[in-house]
Amino acid sequence: MSGYAVFAGKEVREILRTWRLWVLPGILLFFAVTGPPMARYTPEIIDAYAGAELGGLTLPDPTYLDAYAQWAQNLSQVALFALIIIYGGLVSAERRSGTAVLVLTKPVSRSAFIVVKTVVNAAFVSVLLLVGTLVTWGMTAAMFPTAPGSALWASSLVWLVLAVQFIALMTLLSVVIGSAAGAAGAGLGVYVLASIASIWEPLATYSPVGLATQASALATGASASPLWPVVTSLALSLGLVGLAAVVFRRAEL
Amino acid sequence: MSAAPAIQATGLTKAYGDKLALDAVDLTVEEGSIFGFLGANGAGKTTMLRLVTGLARPTSGTVHVLGHDVATAGTAVRAEIGFLPDVPGYYDWMTAEEFLRFAGALFGLRGSSLDDRVTMLLDLAGLTGVTTKVGGFSRGMKQRLGVAQALVNAPRVLLLDEPTSALDPMGRKDLLDMIASLRGRTTVFFSTHILGDVERVCDAVAILDHGRVVAQAPIEELKASYGARKVVVEVTDGADALAEQIGALPWATAVERGHNGAIEVTVSDVGRAQHEIPALVAAHQVGLARMEAGEMGLEEVFVELVGGGR
Repeated sequence: MSGYAVFAGKEVREILRTWRLWVLPGILLFFAVTGPPMARYTPEIIDAYAGAELGGLTLPDPTYLDAYAQWAQNLSQVALFALIIIYGGLVSAERRSGTAVLVLTKPVSRSAFIVVKTVVNAAFVSVLLLVGTLVTWGMTAAMFPTAPGSALWASSLVWLVLAVQFIALMTLLSVVIGSAAGAAGAGLGVYVLASIASIWEPLATYSPVGLATQASALATGASASPLWPVVTSLALSLGLVGLAAVVFRRAEL
Repeated sequence: MSAAPAIQATGLTKAYGDKLALDAVDLTVEEGSIFGFLGANGAGKTTMLRLVTGLARPTSGTVHVLGHDVATAGTAVRAEIGFLPDVPGYYDWMTAEEFLRFAGALFGLRGSSLDDRVTMLLDLAGLTGVTTKVGGFSRGMKQRLGVAQALVNAPRVLLLDEPTSALDPMGRKDLLDMIASLRGRTTVFFSTHILGDVERVCDAVAILDHGRVVAQAPIEELKASYGARKVVVEVTDGADALAEQIGALPWATAVERGHNGAIEVTVSDVGRAQHEIPALVAAHQVGLARMEAGEMGLEEVFVELVGGGR
């Protein structure tokens, strides 16, 4: 158990003392700070610059749900792309640099190496999401007369499940594919395929591919039923990490 | 203390596709010895160490460390070994002290025992007070840190892959002195292509050639057995003509002229040499000043064993 804790401590310090502390947090914070003002003022900006061309078309007054929808959309697209790219070398970078060899010739099992990396980085993304959602909520409250948080938090929690699933996927891909860029490309490919698959309603309703749609629906206050996508996604995440551990245990370093 | 050898490989084979990196290696390293694993670049030394540490799996055969089968023992073996790879990789954002603390903690060291161990090893590596991140270290500094981290658990078996290759002469001397100081307390198994290092500190040596162990013995025994195949003859005059004639004989594998009338002959058949050389001297009608067994250096043994295929 101590090997888990020591290696987890290393992972946390690595996040805090390298570029990892800045990239994903920077992206999320940027969207959290700019999203609500954009939602609040976009109709006025459009009206000011293109009002004449719209020919008297009146845009509806923005609401807090527009800010939440903006946040959900940013999470499901840019933030998820960034996450996939950042975690493309989660395991392979340690193999290439030789650090995995020094760690794994000490009393740390290969399964622990994989599980700790996944868990610590999932926790990191959870903290980022918590902070980002809080900032979004606060900024939304500052921009709109009312900003009840239930829709925002429900949407963010569903996205967190999606993010954990992609961290698990990238863990597996970075075990299987030696190149960080190659693993990221494969991860983006999975994202695209999942997006296409979500068009088919039975899949979107009962499988993890429906998570992004459910997160967006929750943010906009529309009716949503995320239970099946969430449950199947959590099961898939466990399966992906387990598979990554099995493949890594059999790999030659 | 276990009665089992520190390292025992039996029929150890590793193939990459149709290329044999190790070919049925049988090897026994006694506990407490300093064992040199000698071979040219590409001979299979690093592959051997990867199998001993469990980083790779054998195609066939087994390797036991302190009586544990590496394939099934898991952390039991890793808790007892220290390992320095040929090119050690570090977390560049750590300092040397942080890395040693991390490595020690992975072995379960805590508190004052970890503090004391880290202080001692930083001193040993000449890195006390160095606050630069490891990413800014020279290759020699990284190599010294690598040796220090391999010793952090006071291992029963220390495995070093080409430990002196990146060191300057002083660093190399210090490291060899340190390895020699471990004699009797820790089994040191180190791979190298530098014959002088092996000759200087090792008790025993195995010579690896194209994945096969071609010789394994205590160094003195190895040199003695091959030394017996060298004959030194000294004649009063006419040494050049005699050397040329000896060189043409089938049992003379190499002939070198020494000082004055000395001739060093490496022979494949000592008995024939002992009979025929005096006869040749007599036939040349020169005086025989001396004739004795020569001493072969490890380098000559190595060249004789692995040189034929090059």
